Amino acid sequence: MTARWLLGRVAGALPVLLGISLVLFLVIHLAPGGPMDVYADNPSVTPAALARIAEAYGLNQPLPVQYGRWLGAMVSGDWGYSIRTGRPVLTEIVERLGPTLLLGGIAMGAAFLLSVALGVVSAARTGAWPDRVIGGFTLAGLSIPVFWLALVLQLVFSVWLGWLPSGGLRTIGVEAASDRLAHIVMPATVLALATTASWSRYIRAGMITVLRQDYIRTARAKGLGETAVLLRHGLRNAIIPAVSIVALDLASVISGAVITEAIFGWPGIGSLFVQSMDGRDYPVLMGVLVMGSAAVILANIAADLAQAMLDPRVRNG
Amino acid sequence: MISRRTLLLVAGTAACVPAHRSNRNSLVVGLTYDIDTLNVYSTGFLGDVEAAVVEGLLAPDADAKYVPVLATSVPTIENGGIVPNADGGMTITYRLREGVKWHDGAPFTSADVAFTWDAVRNPAFIAESKDGSEDIAAIQTPDPLTVIVHYRKIVPGFATTLFTFGILPRHLLSGVDLNTAPYNDRPVGTGPFRVIAFKRGQYVLTERNPYYWRRDAAGRQLPYVDSLIFKIIPNSNSLLMQIRSGELDLVVATPYDQAKQMGGLEGVDLVRSPLLQWQHLDFNFRNAKLRERRVRLAIAHAIDRTAIVRALGGFPRPIQSVVVPVFDFHDPGAVMPAHDPARARAILEAAGWHLGADGVRARGAERLSFRLVVQAGKGDDELAQQVIIAQLQAIGIEAKADNRAGVAYRQARYKGDFDLLYSAWVTGADPIYSRFLGSKGTNNSLQYRNPALDTVLARMEGTLDPAARKAAAFEMQRILAEDLPTIPLTTNVAVVTKRRSLKGFTPNPTNMTPFVGAAFWRLEA
Repeated sequence: MTARWLLGRVAGALPVLLGISLVLFLVIHLAPGGPMDVYADNPSVTPAALARIAEAYGLNQPLPVQYGRWLGAMVSGDWGYSIRTGRPVLTEIVERLGPTLLLGGIAMGAAFLLSVALGVVSAARTGAWPDRVIGGFTLAGLSIPVFWLALVLQLVFSVWLGWLPSGGLRTIGVEAASDRLAHIVMPATVLALATTASWSRYIRAGMITVLRQDYIRTARAKGLGETAVLLRHGLRNAIIPAVSIVALDLASVISGAVITEAIFGWPGIGSLFVQSMDGRDYPVLMGVLVMGSAAVILANIAADLAQAMLDPRVRNG
Repeated sequence: MISRRTLLLVAGTAACVPAHRSNRNSLVVGLTYDIDTLNVYSTGFLGDVEAAVVEGLLAPDADAKYVPVLATSVPTIENGGIVPNADGGMTITYRLREGVKWHDGAPFTSADVAFTWDAVRNPAFIAESKDGSEDIAAIQTPDPLTVIVHYRKIVPGFATTLFTFGILPRHLLSGVDLNTAPYNDRPVGTGPFRVIAFKRGQYVLTERNPYYWRRDAAGRQLPYVDSLIFKIIPNSNSLLMQIRSGELDLVVATPYDQAKQMGGLEGVDLVRSPLLQWQHLDFNFRNAKLRERRVRLAIAHAIDRTAIVRALGGFPRPIQSVVVPVFDFHDPGAVMPAHDPARARAILEAAGWHLGADGVRARGAERLSFRLVVQAGKGDDELAQQVIIAQLQAIGIEAKADNRAGVAYRQARYKGDFDLLYSAWVTGADPIYSRFLGSKGTNNSLQYRNPALDTVLARMEGTLDPAARKAAAFEMQRILAEDLPTIPLTTNVAVVTKRRSLKGFTPNPTNMTPFVGAAFWRLEA
């Protein structure tokens, strides 16, 4: 496990990213519609005006030329300009990244702690009532649609009880941390619940496999307390396979939580993506999607690294 | 996790100030779309925010009639504001209001008006519409309060576009690239509210303009409201939630699917506001069967508008003319053939179109079978399409859904790749009908050619005399009701959801949106 290995992995990822960008570009452009569709019912926008706008954005060029231009600019660090807003794509993305990472970070952090706790407890008590309660919870967490849960939370906490604001990043004009917190509670809960449900299943399964191993019997035989057996010998080994799953889910955080962000009016990457999709804002769509793909590729490499650090067999093998 | 104390704190605040708001004299508006830019000339949306921030020389009122804003009067021939020239052009003189200031305190002058024309016609500026800018030959500004605009031709609809959309501040934008100017995020106007923050994807925060020129009848400084807060909420469920929880006071374009639920809420009013828009069924005159007037007449008799309205949730209103009833040149006497399927069948029978074994009428080898095109993915249009298909089937005409998305739809619509087309047009307060129905109209994809209509349209669009214009408009409507090149079906309404405590709200049917009257809105306890 050397710097050369890491370099090799990163270099190997570049052609993959290039391939992904080509496929994305094709899919986006082949989908029906285009940036000019918003003008369809507006008779003031004459065919000449449309041609002028298409030319200004290079939309009248053949697709290979458009892709070549996009790629050339991207490589030199120019992500292009949004067709909807006329602002640089990078500015658009960076602006939305903060709220997305904040929401995703809090939700994923909470989900990780919660799923480790739930996973360990239910594995330690397989078949007993805590396992069955947690099993019920995870089943519910996996089956309840995110949008439904979000709407129910809004109905209860915003409309009936009036405790929490139903959406947005903050109360306009209020800077207090408590206000920020009040706004993030519901979206973070919604996001965390579904993730917890899936992660805790992996950790439970990993724990059950590990707890059957000989070294666990040995640990118990040498008189180690049950907590130490579970956490030091059990969890440390059980968490390794879960790390890859967690890493990939974390990578998807950067692409934003499309549904949660839409319902809670959270101004993140997910909302940006939906709006850009509606308006067929090609440069922004490409920017968001390529960034998301790069994050997944990087997360894969990071997961391998983390596995190596946690598991000497991978490190030395 | 949130601490119990914070939770109590939040709950406590929520109890005394309903719904997380800081100021009771501010109005919170829900926008159903994410703003692209706040520049009136390049936005792809109707400029709701812009209408409260940026002013033009004139503005259309609730009846789509022009009233003076930054100008002291609407130029007409009678008041000498419009002078037709011998060379076929015209000269319009605006007197500007005295003492008007921009949001930064700088004086507003005729130079700003001239600059607006220069900025918009600049080829480097990517604008959705440069309408009107190409008709102007020159602008003179003999003094700071006088603008003389020389037009190349007679343009009766001069008020629809350029100087009505809004005036740009020369002292801030001269020499600046309008495509990337900070102005697009923080527009500076002369309107009742000025933008103090625009958080993309979140909100636009405005406050009262301390320099605003307008006073109410009692001499009180306008606007009444301290600030307008525009929250961007594209999700229609969230919109409903926020109206219910008291976080929103006003939504001017309530999605139909939410409107019914909002109507039942305590302290909330629904206002139906007409729109300058009409849905219609077009005939393609490239098709020989549709060139036959009896076929068009039968189809017109087959249409039941009330069934279409019902399918669309009861919101649109049935119409009989391409001139929607908002306009004073709408002719109530020009009516389309009434819903009468029996009559429709008799007409077709008499014309030799007899029912075949497959339920479709035919004459020799020709069958009355048509492709009916609508824009794919437009739910309301696809619903209406199904109703029309069923109504035509009842008289033995087969209409097959041929829905196209995006570019394919545009191509079909503009190049005439359809037999029947169900679609809509949206216009300004001064529609130019020759675009749609004139022989040379850029939007006449029907390929409808009627020299008699062309003459009437030329008269209507070449005169500055309101009475002559109205007479020509009536004549146009009679011709259309007789010749039936297109069947006007319904006009949509905007459903405004507003808190009952908001007073002084006037709907505005034009593309200037109701926010053009925001200075007069007030909140009552």
